[in-house]
Amino acid sequence: MLKRELKVNLKFFIIWLLILVIMFLVVYLIYPYVITDEGMKDIDELLKVFPAEVLKAFNMDLESISTAFGWVKTEGFVFVLLAIGFYSSTLGGTILLKEEDDKTIEYLNSLPITRSKIVTNKVIVGIIYILLLILLFGLFNYIALTISEDFSVKEFVLLSITPIFIALPLFGINLFISTFLHKTKKTAGICLGMVFIFYLLNMLSELSTKVEFLKYFSIYTLADVRNVISTTSIDINMIIISLVITFVFIILTYIRYNKKELV
Amino acid sequence: MSETVIELKHLKKYYGTSRGIEDVSLKINKGEIYGFIGPNGAGKSTTIRTIMGLINKTSGEIFINGEMLKFDDINVKRIIGYLPSEINLYDDMTVAELLDYHESFYHKDLSKRKKELVKLLKIDLNKKIEDLSLGNLKKVGIVLALMHEPKILILDEPTSGLDPIMQNVFHDLLLKEKEKGTTILYSSHILNEVSNICDRVGLIKDGKIIKEDKMDNIKKDNYTYLRISSKEIEKIKKEIKLKIYKETDNEVIFINNLKSNELITRLSKYNIDNLLIEEVPLEDLFINYYK
Repeated sequence: MLKRELKVNLKFFIIWLLILVIMFLVVYLIYPYVITDEGMKDIDELLKVFPAEVLKAFNMDLESISTAFGWVKTEGFVFVLLAIGFYSSTLGGTILLKEEDDKTIEYLNSLPITRSKIVTNKVIVGIIYILLLILLFGLFNYIALTISEDFSVKEFVLLSITPIFIALPLFGINLFISTFLHKTKKTAGICLGMVFIFYLLNMLSELSTKVEFLKYFSIYTLADVRNVISTTSIDINMIIISLVITFVFIILTYIRYNKKELV
Repeated sequence: MSETVIELKHLKKYYGTSRGIEDVSLKINKGEIYGFIGPNGAGKSTTIRTIMGLINKTSGEIFINGEMLKFDDINVKRIIGYLPSEINLYDDMTVAELLDYHESFYHKDLSKRKKELVKLLKIDLNKKIEDLSLGNLKKVGIVLALMHEPKILILDEPTSGLDPIMQNVFHDLLLKEKEKGTTILYSSHILNEVSNICDRVGLIKDGKIIKEDKMDNIKKDNYTYLRISSKEIEKIKKEIKLKIYKETDNEVIFINNLKSNELITRLSKYNIDNLLIEEVPLEDLFINYYK
């Protein structure tokens, strides 16, 4: 079953990997032409227009975008976190539910396999693809950056793995929510909406100390990119919280799926 | 004493406040083909899906081979072959890939039986599932239900979509399974096929089993249609004390449950132009229960 699950979800994985790679490839290709002394002057002028809070939201108060890696760490990573967030949410929301939506669950359930084993297979495949997306995209970035400039490998590696801490909980939460639904059509809105809301809450929490508490309501707080950029380390608490949330929602998925009416 | 393989005791299923099944109790013995019949919405598929563990029962008990069915019991799943009324399989696979995939769950070599069934049902292994017609999809469903040589077969409307020749092939296949001792629950609303193949039938209506009997008894204790044309028809209608089934300008059809001697005695008083005694088709036999 694992082999089939890997095959079925491969296309979706390739699409998202290509989205990320093409987007970054375009930036890497045009960057040397944009980032000239004159070009940087224009960009600096442009950035002065933005309030400090907005620059902070994109980590541009910590890092200059005068290098490709600088861009990756700032604007680039906003896109990476959102894209990987969408991928993980959608994968979690559909990987199990698709069997019901396609009505193949009636066949699958008749086979000598327990519901828990069905969930296990889906979870393993989901986690494999999430990690593979982050790994392959990281490798691509590493190669591209190596060709163009010098950069801190440690900082790059730490930065590249931060999406894991939002991707796994988003996968787990949406997997659990999908056990309350019967059609994947309904999950698309939930998955995308959840990513946007979490991202927005995290962004807002950085704008002012008055709304800093909002960070406790956002999964995106766990991808603490600011901390990675400023201290070149990952807060172990974020890793633990991320894994605990993922674990709890996957366990809840098992409990709920074992009681679910499948047709 | 015959060995009970499937037993349902007061099985009940409600979807919120709406009724799925109210009270279904039945016993199916080893090597028996049990016809499960009833109109649409009576609760046939709900009963089957409850046995298959797709939906949770509200109350009641299910026993397989004398043991209460546990939730998601793979040992039971291993001995059951299931053919749902509406087959949905993985569209991206070819038939050969799907059969191999199916085989992988049973951890034993099913290739011999698989080949036999594919040959018998004339299945093209290279076709993609998404390209199969309804009939061919049904044939693949039959192979999936039978290839692991199950001890129990649960078939929900198994012949829908099959052409008459293939229906006969399928029924012969089931009779051979029966000879091997396979126990079969055969749900259908096509009464003639049930009467041809089943040993016993249970009639479900509004979520309850309202009649259960051997097929032979049902055929035996039935009544006949009495078709009469007579100038004294109004007098006959009043005096003969039989229910009227249908009435036209020229004739009246009565539902006759009288023994032959009694019938002749009663009719001898009248001047009858035409008299015809007909066997009641099985459909009509059950229609009274359906109403």
